[in-house]
Amino acid sequence: MSLVVDTISKRFGDIVALDGVSFTAEPGRIFGLLGANGAGKTTSMRIVLDILRADSGSVTWQGKPNIEVPRRTWGYLPEERGLYLQMTVIDVLRFFAALYGVPERESTAEVEDWLERFRIPDYRDRKVQELSKGNQQKIQFIAAILHDPDVLIMDEPFSGLDPVNVQLLKEAFLEMRRRGKVLIFSTHQMETVEELCESIVIVDRGRIVVGGHVRDVKRAMNRQVVRIATDGHNGTDGLAWVESMPGVTLTRRGQDYLELHVHSDTDPSSLLNAALERGEKVTRFEITDPSLEEVFIEHVGRPAELAEDRHLAPGQERS
Amino acid sequence: MGLFPNAWTVTLREFRLRVRSRVYLVVTIILAVVGMGLALLPVALGALGLDEPSSVSVYAASPDAEESAAALVASLNAMEDAGVEATLVDDDADARDAVESGDLDGLVTVDRAADQDLTFDLFTDEGATSGLVFTVNSAASQVAVADRLVRAGVDPSQVGEIFAPTAFEVTPVDPDAGGEPDNLAPRYLIATALVVLMFMAIITYGQWVATSVAEEKASRVMELLITAATPRQLLLGKVLGAGGAGLIQYIAVVGAALLGLVLAGPLSQALSGDSGSPAPDLSALNAGVLLVVGLFFVGGFGLYATLYAALGSTASRQEEVQNITGPMIIVGVAGYLIAFAALNVPDADWVKVLSFVPFFSPYLIPTRMVMGEIAPWEIGLSFLFLILGALAALWVAARIYSAGVLLYGQKAGLRSVWRAVRVNR
Repeated sequence: MSLVVDTISKRFGDIVALDGVSFTAEPGRIFGLLGANGAGKTTSMRIVLDILRADSGSVTWQGKPNIEVPRRTWGYLPEERGLYLQMTVIDVLRFFAALYGVPERESTAEVEDWLERFRIPDYRDRKVQELSKGNQQKIQFIAAILHDPDVLIMDEPFSGLDPVNVQLLKEAFLEMRRRGKVLIFSTHQMETVEELCESIVIVDRGRIVVGGHVRDVKRAMNRQVVRIATDGHNGTDGLAWVESMPGVTLTRRGQDYLELHVHSDTDPSSLLNAALERGEKVTRFEITDPSLEEVFIEHVGRPAELAEDRHLAPGQERS
Repeated sequence: MGLFPNAWTVTLREFRLRVRSRVYLVVTIILAVVGMGLALLPVALGALGLDEPSSVSVYAASPDAEESAAALVASLNAMEDAGVEATLVDDDADARDAVESGDLDGLVTVDRAADQDLTFDLFTDEGATSGLVFTVNSAASQVAVADRLVRAGVDPSQVGEIFAPTAFEVTPVDPDAGGEPDNLAPRYLIATALVVLMFMAIITYGQWVATSVAEEKASRVMELLITAATPRQLLLGKVLGAGGAGLIQYIAVVGAALLGLVLAGPLSQALSGDSGSPAPDLSALNAGVLLVVGLFFVGGFGLYATLYAALGSTASRQEEVQNITGPMIIVGVAGYLIAFAALNVPDADWVKVLSFVPFFSPYLIPTRMVMGEIAPWEIGLSFLFLILGALAALWVAARIYSAGVLLYGQKAGLRSVWRAVRVNR
C-alpha cells in the first residue's frame, strides 16, 4: 500500500520538464527526491498533488489514481513559503485545518501540541508577520500536517533553517515516520538525506538517473571507499605503492591519510593485508560506501549545490 | 467535490479579516458621513442662508416709467420659485451703494427711450447667465410687451387676458403605464442613481476581489490553498467574502445617504422654519423594484467579481492588478453607457435584447423596470440567464485561476494565461 509514481511525463511548451519519472514511496519510510534546482522535483510533487496534470503516466495511492484520492490524504509544504501574514498563528492554522475538514476543537488542541513540540507555544496568538522566517517555516510545516495526512510532501523543507530548527524538524519527520506516514521531501543537501532517507531518486533534467534503496544506490557504484593511514612521518609515507594495485584509484591525498576508490571486483581488505605484509604500521583503515554526494556527482556530473538546471518552462518559475 | 463547506470557510476568513481591519472601518465611516453629507447639503446651504431670495430694487428713472416699474415689481414678486424679492425705490443712489457693498443683489433702472419704448438696466454683481439676470430679463420682457400693446391701442383691461395662462394638458397614450408624465423626473433620477450605484459597486468591489487574489498569489499562500481546496471553492469563497464585506459597506453608505434624504425635509423645517426643498419622490422604488434590483445586484456582482478574481490570479505582483483588470472595466463602462442611452428609450428593441445579456442585464433590467414597461417573465428569464452566465464565469474563471496561480515572473496577459490553461490540463 504505497504511493506509486509510474512513468509520468510533462512538457511545458517545447520544454520537457519530466520524462518518464517513476518511483515508489512506502508508508513509515522517508523518501528523498534529489536534484538540482530546475531538475523537475517541484513539478513531480505538483503532479502527485494534482496541482498539475501529467501529459502521460499515472500516480496512485493504495492502488487508486491520485485524482480520486481525497485531498486530506496529502500534506504539502511548498518550496515558496506563504501564510496569511495579517492573521494570528492559531487562526491561520485553524483555517487550513478547516479546509481539510478538521473540527476547530481538534485542530486547536493539535496546534497547541505542535507549538509546544517546536518550542514556540507563546506564538499562538501572535500575528504571523511578527515571527522570524524560521518560525514561520515551522508554522508552515504544522499547516501541512494538521489534518493528519497519510502522505506528506515537502519541497526543500530544511532550506533557510538554522541548525537548532533543522534538528527540531528532523525530529518531527521521525515522529511522522513513527506514525506510519509516507514522507517525501526534496533537497540538494546530501547529509540530511544520508541521515533520514531509506530510499531516494536522483532527478536530472526531468529524468531519473538513479533510484532505489540508499544502500543499493551506493552499491551500484561498483566501488567502495577506503581511507588508510600509517604510522609514518605524515601518515601517508610508504603508501605510494597502493596506486599500482589493480582496481584501486587514489582519489584524495589528505594531510595524514589517503582516500582510495576500490572497484567491487577487488576485496578492499586485500589492501590492509598488502600493507601489513610490507611491514607498515597501519593506524587507520576504513571501508565505507561512497557518499550520496559522490553518487550525485557521478550521475549528474556536478555537485548538487552547484548544479543549476535552468531548463525552465514558460509558465513555470521552476519545474 | 462539492463547493461547500470549503467555499464557506474561505468566505468567513475573507469576510472577517476585511471587516475587522481598521482601514475598512474608517473608510466605511468616512464614506457614510460623506454620503449623508451630500444628501443634507441643500439643507445645510439653506441654513447658512445661501439660498435666500435675491433682493432687487426697481427704480423708475422718469415719471412715465413709474407705472411700468411698479408692474415689474409686481411681476417679479409674483414669480414663484424664482427666489427674487423686488421693491420699488425712489432714489437710485442709495440702492447703487447697496449693490456695490453687497447688501443688495441688483438694481433695475426702468426708463423710457425717445421712441417711447421701455428700457431696463440691471446693475448687479451677478454673471450674465445667472438665475437673477434670467428672471429679471423675462419679467422685464413681459412688462415691455404689455406696455407696447397698450401703446398700440389695446385696452389695458384686455392686456391681462392676453397674458392669462394657456390651457395646456398632456394626455398619455396609456394612462395605466408607469410613466405618468408628472412622475418622469423622479423616475429618471432613481434609474440614473441605480445605474451609477451598480456601476460603482461592480468596479470598486470587483477590484477588491482581484487585489485580494493577487495578494494571496504574491504572498505565496496560494500554492497551499490550491492543494487544500478546489479553484471553484476558492473563487466562490473569495467572491462571497469580499462581496459580503463590500455589500455591508455599500449598504451603510447608501443607507446613510437615504437617511439624509428622508431627514432633509424635517431638518430644514426645524432649521429655517419653512418646508425648504420638498423630500424627493421615491415612490417609484417600490418593494418589487427593490427586490429585482437586489437580485440583479447580487447576480451581476457575482458574474463580474468571479471574472475579476480570475484576472487577479494572473498577476504576479499586486501592482499589475490595475492593468490586468482593464478589460473588465471596459465591459463595466460599456454596460453603464448603454444603460444611460436606454434611460431615454427604455422600450426600444435593442434595449430589450441587451437586457437579456448577462453583462448588461444588471444595468438594463432595473432601468427598464423604472423607466419603461417589462413583463415579469422577461425579468425571470433575464435573471436565469444572469445566473447561468455567472456559473459559466465560475467555470471559466476556475480554469484561468488554476493555471494563473502557478504563473510567476512573466508579464501577465490573456495570451500567457491561455497558454498556461492549455498546458495545465
